[in-house]
Amino acid sequence: MKILVAVKRVPDTTVKLKLKPDGTGVVTDGVNFEVNPFDVIAVEEALRLKEKAGGGEVIVATIGSKDATQQLRHGLAMGADRGILVVNDDDNAIDADVVARTLKAVVAKEQPTLVLVGKQSPDGESNQVPQMLAEHLGWPQATFASKVVVAADKASAEVTREADGGLETLSVRLPAVISADLRLNEPRYASLPGIMKAKAKKIDEFTFESLGVAKAPKVTAVGFFAPPERKAGAVVASVEELVNKLKNEAKVLG
Amino acid sequence: MADVTFGWSEQHLMVRQALRQFMEKELKPIVWDLEDGKVLPYEFARKLANTFGLAELVRGMWARRKEKKAAGDREAAAGEIAAFRDPAMSALLVIEMCRYSPGAALAFGASLGLCGQTILSKGTDDQIERFAIPVLTAEKVGCWGLTEPEAGSDAFSMRTTARLDGDYYILNGSKTLITNAPYADTFVVYARMKSPTPDNAAREAIHAFILERGMPGLSTGQPFKKMGMHASPTGEIFLSDVRVPRANLLGGKEKDPSRDQAVGVLMGERTAMPSMCLGIVERLLDECVRYSKERKQFGRPIAEFQLVQQKIANLFVTREIIEMYVHKMIWMQQNGIKSMKEASAAKLYCGRATVEAGLDAVQVFGGAGYIRDAGVEMMVRDAKLFTIGGGTDEIQIGWIARELLKD
Repeated sequence: MKILVAVKRVPDTTVKLKLKPDGTGVVTDGVNFEVNPFDVIAVEEALRLKEKAGGGEVIVATIGSKDATQQLRHGLAMGADRGILVVNDDDNAIDADVVARTLKAVVAKEQPTLVLVGKQSPDGESNQVPQMLAEHLGWPQATFASKVVVAADKASAEVTREADGGLETLSVRLPAVISADLRLNEPRYASLPGIMKAKAKKIDEFTFESLGVAKAPKVTAVGFFAPPERKAGAVVASVEELVNKLKNEAKVLG
Repeated sequence: MADVTFGWSEQHLMVRQALRQFMEKELKPIVWDLEDGKVLPYEFARKLANTFGLAELVRGMWARRKEKKAAGDREAAAGEIAAFRDPAMSALLVIEMCRYSPGAALAFGASLGLCGQTILSKGTDDQIERFAIPVLTAEKVGCWGLTEPEAGSDAFSMRTTARLDGDYYILNGSKTLITNAPYADTFVVYARMKSPTPDNAAREAIHAFILERGMPGLSTGQPFKKMGMHASPTGEIFLSDVRVPRANLLGGKEKDPSRDQAVGVLMGERTAMPSMCLGIVERLLDECVRYSKERKQFGRPIAEFQLVQQKIANLFVTREIIEMYVHKMIWMQQNGIKSMKEASAAKLYCGRATVEAGLDAVQVFGGAGYIRDAGVEMMVRDAKLFTIGGGTDEIQIGWIARELLKD
């Protein structure tokens, strides 16, 4: 079973990001980067599906600068077989649609049975790529997966999704796009032998041009600004004063 | 600001990141249980060895070595052991463990490093297979016994004796302050060889023996209550007419005593200590930066007070110097350079600087730092071992001066 997993290089989710003074983005100098945690879950699921199937190939792909090779290596150290880097030096110059169309071109090259991705990334939080990719490919999609079971004939998969009121189980024909939610699995650590082997694994590089993808975003970021700081509260002396303030100042009581 | 990563390869940084995640998830939550002796560090060591594939690496190395030896290629077989030793990877393991529990790192290091590596270095193939591999995969707990009640800094004045009796050596004496002794399965014990023919000098020499728990006459004491390193059980070994098979003489040759080998272990221990110190100081620095920005007094974060800033800047300088020592020690090990004055200087400086850094960190935290929940006072108590264990500061100074002034 051949599985393609798309991974994204994102700022360390535990650090406090700062905006650039001119509002064109966030400051990335001196920030540590990691693999989108949802994508790590997708890699883990792909490895487990491959192990269960008793063979196949797991390919990790990313779109980003040469530095994103580190994030591909992380996937390779976990056990993925090879990597694909589509070189892009300006993250602000592409949108979810460009990413989806680029992944479509990668899928056309690799012909995987399944594409696994994290449901969203903690930087843009847009939650669009898996859905757009499925649409561009004309493939079924199952998003927010908390459980994936591939049928023995590998022609379909049963995907459990966490909905507001309970669980929903979908059956999708393969090939399909599945996006991973938080509780899908607990990813393994990259082991020492895994990290050593990762160094020798192949990473192929492509450009948008070589894949025939037009780098024409439909959405561009106009500006970034921080939410207004919360003002300090006030101490009131009595219930009467509180009610009075709620009525006349905050105007939340009639 | 992310730090400048100096001297580590991309692979090392990946290992480090994976280790840090593991320690945060597996070690941090059990720190106080380890401190209180409610859990022992060995289950954690096993988990670490299995999760990171250390056990897999050890078994792979040994299988390849046996294969090459069977094929008659002795050089390639020896190369397998050499390639297995990666001082940078060992350092990273220790650094990341020490961020949360220097005691757990000490117990781990004494078992795999002191005991396992000693047998791997000098043991016969049979000894490596039977004793070193189970310790290096963390299945079994090892300890390394040199110090005695009357032979501390003057270690080679030891009184423990071994006497040949047929196919056995009879060992008598005691060892003390031995890390892991209360729970060890495998013991490397040094003793003075006594023989019926005392004119044979080699037979008066110091030898190492591999002992196993359960041998009649071998017993261990309760863990000591120590100033620090509570996560690492330390105790005594008692030897009363213990009959040790001749096959358990480390290296298997009476003509080849183990005193130099023990000195080599001491040097290795000194070389590893800067890594332990680095883990501690990095954690202290992170904690002080975080706390000083959060804690407000006189209406502003204490990070804005110059006296606090000075301590934090000093912590960083200490971290920088210790990291350079770590890289120098790794470089010496990688290049097979054995020089005691450098190893002693590194240990002397790093141990003292880490105690001082720990006291400064407690001071940054103030009253909160004096309470154990803040996690900084433990680091001071743990770090104090580095000025005593593996040779006191005074012994290190002696080694340095002796090497500088000889001839």
